[in-house]
Amino acid sequence: MKESIYHPLFILLLIVLSFMLLVCLIRAVKGPRVADRLMAVNMMGTMVMVMISVLALLLREGYLVDICLIYAMISFLSVVVISKVYIGIYEEQHHSQEHTEGGNADERG
Amino acid sequence: MNAAEWIRLIIGCLFILTGMVIFFTELFGVFHFKYVLNRMHAAAMGDTLGISACLLGLMIFSGLNFTTLKMFLIIVFLWFASPVSSHVLSRLEAATNDNLSAHCELYEDVEVLERELATTVENGNTEEKEESV
Repeated sequence: MKESIYHPLFILLLIVLSFMLLVCLIRAVKGPRVADRLMAVNMMGTMVMVMISVLALLLREGYLVDICLIYAMISFLSVVVISKVYIGIYEEQHHSQEHTEGGNADERG
Repeated sequence: MNAAEWIRLIIGCLFILTGMVIFFTELFGVFHFKYVLNRMHAAAMGDTLGISACLLGLMIFSGLNFTTLKMFLIIVFLWFASPVSSHVLSRLEAATNDNLSAHCELYEDVEVLERELATTVENGNTEEKEESV
Protein backbone atom coordinates (compact mmCIF):
# COMPACT_ATOMS: atom_id res chain seq x y z
CA MET A 1 0.00 0.00 0.00
CA LYS A 2 2.75 2.38 1.00
CA GLU A 3 5.05 1.55 -1.92
CA SER A 4 2.27 2.07 -4.42
CA ILE A 5 2.25 5.78 -3.56
CA TYR A 6 5.98 6.37 -3.16
CA HIS A 7 7.17 4.38 -6.17
CA PRO A 8 5.68 6.49 -9.02
CA LEU A 9 6.61 9.66 -7.12
CA PHE A 10 10.28 8.67 -7.02
CA ILE A 11 10.22 7.61 -10.70
CA LEU A 12 8.75 10.99 -11.68
CA LEU A 13 11.37 12.79 -9.59
CA LEU A 14 14.16 10.83 -11.30
CA ILE A 15 12.78 11.70 -14.77
CA VAL A 16 12.58 15.43 -13.96
CA LEU A 17 16.10 15.39 -12.50
CA SER A 18 17.53 13.65 -15.54
CA PHE A 19 16.02 16.30 -17.84
CA MET A 20 17.61 19.03 -15.74
CA LEU A 21 20.89 17.12 -15.91
CA LEU A 22 20.70 17.23 -19.71
CA VAL A 23 20.16 21.02 -19.60
CA CYS A 24 23.25 21.31 -17.36
CA LEU A 25 25.20 19.28 -19.92
CA ILE A 26 24.16 21.75 -22.65
CA ARG A 27 25.57 24.55 -20.48
CA ALA A 28 28.81 22.60 -20.03
CA VAL A 29 29.16 22.12 -23.80
CA LYS A 30 28.19 25.70 -24.69
CA GLY A 31 30.13 27.50 -21.95
CA PRO A 32 32.56 29.91 -23.58
CA ARG A 33 35.02 29.89 -20.69
CA VAL A 34 36.60 27.21 -18.53
CA ALA A 35 34.88 28.53 -15.40
CA ASP A 36 31.51 28.05 -17.14
CA ARG A 37 32.21 24.39 -17.75
CA LEU A 38 33.48 23.76 -14.24
CA MET A 39 30.41 25.48 -12.80
CA ALA A 40 28.12 23.30 -14.94
CA VAL A 41 29.95 20.17 -13.77
CA ASN A 42 29.45 21.33 -10.18
CA MET A 43 25.70 21.75 -10.80
CA MET A 44 25.52 18.31 -12.39
CA GLY A 45 27.21 16.88 -9.32
CA THR A 46 24.56 18.43 -7.09
CA MET A 47 21.74 16.94 -9.15
CA VAL A 48 23.39 13.53 -9.26
CA MET A 49 23.60 13.65 -5.45
CA VAL A 50 19.82 14.14 -5.23
CA MET A 51 19.33 11.29 -7.72
CA ILE A 52 21.49 8.91 -5.67
CA SER A 53 19.55 9.79 -2.51
CA VAL A 54 16.23 9.14 -4.28
CA LEU A 55 17.57 5.80 -5.50
CA ALA A 56 18.62 4.89 -1.96
CA LEU A 57 15.02 5.31 -0.80
CA LEU A 58 13.57 3.70 -3.93
CA LEU A 59 15.70 0.55 -3.72
CA ARG A 60 15.67 0.54 0.13
CA GLU A 61 19.47 0.36 0.23
CA GLY A 62 20.82 2.67 2.92
CA TYR A 63 24.45 2.36 1.89
CA LEU A 64 23.78 4.32 -1.32
CA VAL A 65 23.70 7.46 0.83
CA ASP A 66 27.31 6.75 1.84
CA ILE A 67 28.20 6.77 -1.84
CA CYS A 68 26.39 10.09 -2.14
CA LEU A 69 28.48 11.59 0.68
CA ILE A 70 31.71 10.40 -0.96
CA TYR A 71 30.47 11.75 -4.29
CA ALA A 72 29.99 15.18 -2.70
CA MET A 73 33.54 15.16 -1.34
CA ILE A 74 35.10 14.04 -4.63
CA SER A 75 33.09 16.59 -6.64
CA PHE A 76 34.25 19.41 -4.34
CA LEU A 77 37.84 18.17 -4.53
CA SER A 78 37.77 17.93 -8.32
CA VAL A 79 36.55 21.52 -8.71
CA VAL A 80 39.24 22.87 -6.38
CA VAL A 81 42.06 20.81 -7.91
CA ILE A 82 41.13 21.52 -11.54
CA SER A 83 40.87 25.28 -10.83
CA LYS A 84 44.26 25.35 -9.13
CA VAL A 85 45.90 23.30 -11.89
CA TYR A 86 44.39 25.50 -14.59
CA ILE A 87 45.57 28.70 -12.89
CA GLY A 88 49.08 27.22 -12.66
CA ILE A 89 49.11 26.17 -16.33
CA TYR A 90 47.82 29.58 -17.44
CA GLU A 91 50.47 31.48 -15.52
CA GLU A 92 53.19 29.14 -16.78
CA GLN A 93 52.11 29.69 -20.39
CA HIS A 94 51.97 33.44 -19.80
CA HIS A 95 55.53 33.53 -18.46
CA SER A 96 56.86 31.28 -21.23
CA GLN A 97 55.16 33.48 -23.85
CA GLU A 98 56.83 36.57 -22.43
CA HIS A 99 60.19 34.80 -22.52
CA THR A 100 59.72 33.54 -26.08
CA GLU A 101 58.57 36.98 -27.23
CA GLY A 102 61.79 38.48 -25.88
CA GLY A 103 63.81 35.70 -27.49
CA ASN A 104 62.05 36.10 -30.83
CA ALA A 105 62.69 39.82 -30.85
CA ASP A 106 66.41 39.07 -30.50
CA GLU A 107 66.25 36.49 -33.29
CA ARG A 108 64.36 38.85 -35.59
CA GLY A 109 66.81 41.66 -34.92
CA MET B 1 -2.67 4.42 5.61
CA ASN B 2 -3.47 6.64 8.57
CA ALA B 3 -3.57 10.41 8.84
CA ALA B 4 -0.01 10.81 10.14
CA GLU B 5 1.47 9.10 7.09
CA TRP B 6 -0.61 11.24 4.76
CA ILE B 7 0.65 14.39 6.51
CA ARG B 8 4.23 13.10 6.22
CA LEU B 9 3.74 12.44 2.51
CA ILE B 10 2.31 15.90 1.86
CA ILE B 11 5.01 17.75 3.80
CA GLY B 12 7.76 15.74 2.11
CA CYS B 13 6.25 16.42 -1.31
CA LEU B 14 6.11 20.14 -0.52
CA PHE B 15 9.82 20.18 0.40
CA ILE B 16 10.77 18.25 -2.75
CA LEU B 17 8.64 20.55 -4.89
CA THR B 18 10.43 23.55 -3.36
CA GLY B 19 13.76 21.94 -4.22
CA MET B 20 12.69 21.33 -7.81
CA VAL B 21 11.50 24.94 -8.18
CA ILE B 22 14.87 26.15 -6.89
CA PHE B 23 16.70 23.88 -9.35
CA PHE B 24 14.59 25.30 -12.19
CA THR B 25 15.40 28.84 -11.05
CA GLU B 26 19.07 27.90 -11.00
CA LEU B 27 18.94 26.58 -14.57
CA PHE B 28 17.01 29.63 -15.75
CA GLY B 29 19.57 31.95 -14.16
CA VAL B 30 22.49 30.04 -15.63
CA PHE B 31 21.07 30.44 -19.14
CA HIS B 32 19.81 33.99 -18.58
CA PHE B 33 22.94 35.78 -17.40
CA LYS B 34 25.69 36.71 -19.82
CA TYR B 35 28.90 36.29 -17.86
CA VAL B 36 30.42 33.62 -15.63
CA LEU B 37 30.64 35.75 -12.50
CA ASN B 38 26.91 36.48 -12.80
CA ARG B 39 26.02 32.89 -13.59
CA MET B 40 27.93 31.69 -10.56
CA HIS B 41 25.51 33.57 -8.34
CA ALA B 42 22.59 31.54 -9.70
CA ALA B 43 24.53 28.28 -9.68
CA ALA B 44 25.61 28.54 -6.05
CA MET B 45 21.97 28.79 -4.94
CA GLY B 46 21.11 25.25 -6.05
CA ASP B 47 24.21 23.83 -4.39
CA THR B 48 23.04 24.81 -0.93
CA LEU B 49 19.34 25.68 -0.87
CA GLY B 50 18.11 23.36 -3.63
CA ILE B 51 19.78 20.22 -2.38
CA SER B 52 18.86 21.10 1.23
CA ALA B 53 15.17 21.29 0.36
CA CYS B 54 15.25 18.06 -1.69
CA LEU B 55 17.13 16.12 0.97
CA LEU B 56 14.87 17.48 3.74
CA GLY B 57 11.89 16.07 1.84
CA LEU B 58 13.64 12.72 1.43
CA MET B 59 14.57 12.75 5.14
CA ILE B 60 10.91 13.19 6.04
CA PHE B 61 10.04 10.24 3.77
CA SER B 62 12.69 7.96 5.25
CA GLY B 63 11.85 8.55 8.91
CA LEU B 64 14.22 8.35 11.87
CA ASN B 65 17.19 6.13 11.00
CA PHE B 66 20.82 6.30 9.97
CA THR B 67 19.94 7.19 6.37
CA THR B 68 18.43 10.44 7.63
CA LEU B 69 21.59 11.22 9.59
CA LYS B 70 23.77 10.64 6.54
CA MET B 71 21.58 12.91 4.42
CA PHE B 72 21.91 15.60 7.08
CA LEU B 73 25.70 15.14 6.91
CA ILE B 74 25.56 15.71 3.13
CA ILE B 75 23.67 18.99 3.64
CA VAL B 76 26.16 20.19 6.28
CA PHE B 77 29.11 19.25 4.09
CA LEU B 78 27.69 21.15 1.10
CA TRP B 79 27.08 24.24 3.23
CA PHE B 80 30.84 24.37 3.82
CA ALA B 81 32.01 23.14 0.40
CA SER B 82 29.84 25.20 -1.94
CA PRO B 83 31.09 28.70 -0.94
CA VAL B 84 34.69 27.50 -1.12
CA SER B 85 34.28 26.04 -4.60
CA SER B 86 32.49 29.19 -5.79
CA HIS B 87 35.35 31.30 -4.43
CA VAL B 88 37.96 29.13 -6.15
CA LEU B 89 36.03 29.28 -9.44
CA SER B 90 35.79 33.07 -9.33
CA ARG B 91 39.52 33.27 -8.58
CA LEU B 92 40.13 31.07 -11.63
CA GLU B 93 38.04 33.43 -13.75
CA ALA B 94 39.73 36.57 -12.38
CA ALA B 95 43.22 35.10 -12.83
CA THR B 96 42.80 33.80 -16.37
CA ASN B 97 40.68 36.52 -17.97
CA ASP B 98 42.85 39.22 -19.54
CA ASN B 99 39.79 41.27 -20.50
CA LEU B 100 38.09 41.32 -17.11
CA SER B 101 37.53 45.10 -17.07
CA ALA B 102 35.11 44.74 -20.01
CA HIS B 103 32.70 42.85 -17.74
CA CYS B 104 33.06 44.46 -14.34
CA GLU B 105 34.49 47.52 -12.63
CA LEU B 106 38.09 47.05 -11.54
CA TYR B 107 40.12 49.02 -8.99
CA GLU B 108 43.89 48.80 -9.30
CA ASP B 109 44.44 49.91 -5.73
CA VAL B 110 42.38 48.94 -2.71
CA GLU B 111 42.83 52.42 -1.20
CA VAL B 112 41.05 54.02 -4.17
CA LEU B 113 38.06 51.76 -3.64
CA GLU B 114 38.03 52.46 0.11
CA ARG B 115 38.19 56.22 -0.45
CA GLU B 116 35.35 56.05 -2.97
CA LEU B 117 33.23 53.94 -0.64
CA ALA B 118 33.91 56.32 2.24
CA THR B 119 32.80 59.32 0.18
CA THR B 120 29.61 57.57 -0.89
CA VAL B 121 28.87 56.60 2.70
CA GLU B 122 29.41 60.19 3.86
CA ASN B 123 27.17 61.49 1.10
CA GLY B 124 24.52 58.96 2.03
CA ASN B 125 24.72 59.96 5.69
CA THR B 126 24.40 63.67 4.92
CA GLU B 127 21.45 63.01 2.63
CA GLU B 128 19.75 60.97 5.31
CA LYS B 129 20.34 63.74 7.83
CA GLU B 130 18.91 66.30 5.49
CA GLU B 131 15.89 64.14 4.91
CA SER B 132 15.42 63.57 8.62
CA VAL B 133 15.71 67.30 9.32
